[in-house]
Amino acid sequence: MKKIIKVLLTMSVILITAACAGNASGNDGYPNKNIEMVAPASPGGGWDLTARSLEKVLSEQELVDKNINVVNKPGGGGEVGWKYLKSKDSHSLAVNSSLVLTNNLLEQSELTYEEFTPIATLATEWQALAVPADSPYQSASEFLKATKEDPTAVKIGVGPGLGNDDHLSLVQAASEFGINPAELNFLVYEGGGDVVTALLGGHVDAVTTSLSEVKDQHLAGKLKILAVSSDEPLEDLEDVPTWQDEGVDMVFPHWRGLMGPPDMTEDEIAYWDKKLEKMVETNQWQKVLENNDWEDFYKNSEETKAFLQEQHDLYQRLINDSGLLDN
Amino acid sequence: MDVNSFMEGLSIAIEPINIVWIIIGGFLGTIVGMLPGLGPATAVAVLIPMTFGMNPVSAIILMAAIYYGAMYGGSRSSILLNTPGDGSAIAATFDGYPMAREGMAGQALAISAVASFIGGLIAVIGFIFLAEPLAAFALEFGPAEYFLLMLLTLSAIVSLSIGKMVKGFLAMSIGLALSTVGIDTQTGIYRFTFGSSHLSEGIDFLIVIIGVYAIGEVLYNLLSIDEQRKEKKKVGKVWFSKEQWRRSKWPILRSGPLGFIIGVLPGAGGSIASMISYTTERQLSKRSSEFGKGAVEGLAAPESANNSASVGAMIPLLTMGIPGSGTTAVMLGALIMLGLRPGPLLFEQQPETAWALINSMFIGNIALVIINILLVGALVKVLDTPPKVLYPMIVVLAFIGTYTLSYATFDFYFLLLFGVIGLFMKVLDFPIAPLVLALIVGSDMEQNFRMALTSSNGSFGIFFSSGVSIALIVLTLLSLLYPLVVHWMKRKSQNKHEDQMYKSS
Amino acid sequence: MMKGIKLGVPIFLLLFSCLFLIGSLQLPKANLGNPNAPLYFPAGLSILMLLLSIVYLFQEIKHVAEENMEVRQLFSGRTPKLIVFTIILGGIYALVFDRIGFLLSTIGFLGGLLFLINGWKKWLINCVVAVSFSFLAWYAFSQLLGVSLP
Repeated sequence: MKKIIKVLLTMSVILITAACAGNASGNDGYPNKNIEMVAPASPGGGWDLTARSLEKVLSEQELVDKNINVVNKPGGGGEVGWKYLKSKDSHSLAVNSSLVLTNNLLEQSELTYEEFTPIATLATEWQALAVPADSPYQSASEFLKATKEDPTAVKIGVGPGLGNDDHLSLVQAASEFGINPAELNFLVYEGGGDVVTALLGGHVDAVTTSLSEVKDQHLAGKLKILAVSSDEPLEDLEDVPTWQDEGVDMVFPHWRGLMGPPDMTEDEIAYWDKKLEKMVETNQWQKVLENNDWEDFYKNSEETKAFLQEQHDLYQRLINDSGLLDN
Repeated sequence: MDVNSFMEGLSIAIEPINIVWIIIGGFLGTIVGMLPGLGPATAVAVLIPMTFGMNPVSAIILMAAIYYGAMYGGSRSSILLNTPGDGSAIAATFDGYPMAREGMAGQALAISAVASFIGGLIAVIGFIFLAEPLAAFALEFGPAEYFLLMLLTLSAIVSLSIGKMVKGFLAMSIGLALSTVGIDTQTGIYRFTFGSSHLSEGIDFLIVIIGVYAIGEVLYNLLSIDEQRKEKKKVGKVWFSKEQWRRSKWPILRSGPLGFIIGVLPGAGGSIASMISYTTERQLSKRSSEFGKGAVEGLAAPESANNSASVGAMIPLLTMGIPGSGTTAVMLGALIMLGLRPGPLLFEQQPETAWALINSMFIGNIALVIINILLVGALVKVLDTPPKVLYPMIVVLAFIGTYTLSYATFDFYFLLLFGVIGLFMKVLDFPIAPLVLALIVGSDMEQNFRMALTSSNGSFGIFFSSGVSIALIVLTLLSLLYPLVVHWMKRKSQNKHEDQMYKSS
Repeated sequence: MMKGIKLGVPIFLLLFSCLFLIGSLQLPKANLGNPNAPLYFPAGLSILMLLLSIVYLFQEIKHVAEENMEVRQLFSGRTPKLIVFTIILGGIYALVFDRIGFLLSTIGFLGGLLFLINGWKKWLINCVVAVSFSFLAWYAFSQLLGVSLP
């Protein structure tokens, strides 16, 4: 028995020394230990997939020579993971999206985007407005006109919660068109998939969701996409107009990016600018984008900083318009 | 169906490498699903990073195998230790655990594996011939129909606690009350979160299951820990008798199709399927008084139903790209990352992939029933472990299982709280299933009710507007009234034993 | 004690339903749609619970003289000590889990439970089980399954 304990003790000593050695070896420059990629979501979720794709491409293309570990910290719409990031050093990065802005604007979180170091904006999805194949509305402007006449008559499916990009993109379209978005009649489903089922079953008149949820159904002729939120018509969907084509002046990206803890040095930021700029050029990353129906939306740290500021102001306006908060 | 693609799919599914994946996935899924507190959803989520970097067809086959494996494994801990790992394994505790206590653990494990196998097989056959029409049928379900389905489930569960109806309803109300915690989906209002971001997404029902069942069971056993002698517990034979098979045969065959159809409905899933099948069999049975005390058909029926529901849940995923359960949602995410997008175009563009998966389900179910029957002998040994060593280990596993849900130690306090609640419920003879199932369906039930009213502009007529909803209302009334009538007639005939009834009920 | 538990639980439920009702009525109003929509369900539910707890209380009063063996066991011998210490150990585990890491805290927690339940006499088995089971769990979860444990 004593022997077993001895063996176990020896094992743990070896493990600990090995771990320390791993940290100490290499040069003194950044990064000098393993990188932690925080996914503020459970395995299998959107943020988790983004984090794991980054990990895969960055290590398989040998862009980063330290190990990258994905760490899942789900909860509170990203808040738990980002709070965790805030307590870490510059070897931790976290995936983000517009929720890093809206959580605070919707008064759901104390954290603001300004507390973190912007690293990059990586990719975007576009938003879509879809109706059943046999809908009376054959274009986005017809849809908006009908809604303007009687906002309660048109039932719009959205999920999984109000205040997300799916909801706010239609809020923006409606307010650009002169409709008070607070009057829109939303049915809120638990998930993006449920929304599409509801549309296919004719339980709602229209849905606003990410393009990928409805693209295949549109191609199969089971429903019709009236408008996409991109700046120009998309590949495979040349017949679908953008909101701008429909006379609504808006481009609405549903972006994903990367940010670091507060107080990263300029050298550390420059390191990631260099690495990520290379990464987005690789074929492997292009393949990731294609599989997920994402589009390249790369902005370096400097551009991302400005972009976040601009997005923050936009979201602030949209949330006020949406009527979600008292004002 | 398209015979060519079917054959092509079969040839992919029986490629040796894919058979190996089926066996590995099934085995791992069984093991993870078997640990108290870890069910299919956790098993798939935890094992999914393994599939990254694999070829997409093998990946989906592996994931499906993990999923079914966990469905098989999930009921192992229900039967042996009274600690289900997921909502769909709760029904297996009703009669499976009493069987194990009476020294029939071996038979219980064997019949549940065989029932799962037959249920799975029925569902795969159903999948091959009925995928398209059933997917269309599922679309008929609007908010009103979902609300009524959840109502049926709740009434079915409460009707189980006959003789202690007040306690059953109280347990259900507590579950429903817990389900109101979190963001109110329709309006974005925060309810009962007390400013905590951990609570904003509600209370995870898995924590409650692990708490009231696993921790509650351990605490409950501490009551008599010193009386549990070291005497070797009988575990019985590892195969069921002819008589047991005769009793289970029809319940298994009836529950398969029932579970399959419920599984197809997005959001319904294994918990509802197994619960409805259990109450149906109890009401149909001539031996309904044995249910809950170790009736073999009360174990076989829900086992068949929940496994066929897990196959049914793949239909909306494959035909429409819509995940029908938490587990399939995780699978969808992983598949997209691998460049395979399930949906209406899958059967047109990559029919061989879809059919390879369907065929792999056949092979998977065969592999799983063999794995699980081979494991019976080893599993019953768990009961040989001295309880004083076994229970601390269950507690630790329950904590780890909870941690894997959201990687937060905050949840540990909830786990302990629900453990204590579970202990008191057991001591005071409260039924536990209504609490857990009410929590599982509660939020959906309320939200669908409100969505139905929003879409009808406030008119209650929407709940009577379709054939499906009227059928569901009739079933709900039946499930509530039938046991009452039976109970009333029994009472009449045994009026003199009334006092005894109070205690035993 | 018996009476305390038998009547205490329904009274606790009664109080809980009252608090729940008050909490429901104080929910913020919705800004979209019907402003009261979020509170109908919890408020209705709390009233149902209130009625049920009253019925339950009367049932228990009627049968208060009856013995419940299990409630008796709850307060006999070393049972209360075991339960309370198990919960305290769980609380300590939750506190130290992130700080001292999975392995150390789990060895401590499992060891503590084993010494508590299995007794000091079997210290050897307890130590071996605590250490080996924790290592096994750590290996299985963090190495084989890739769960990130602290």
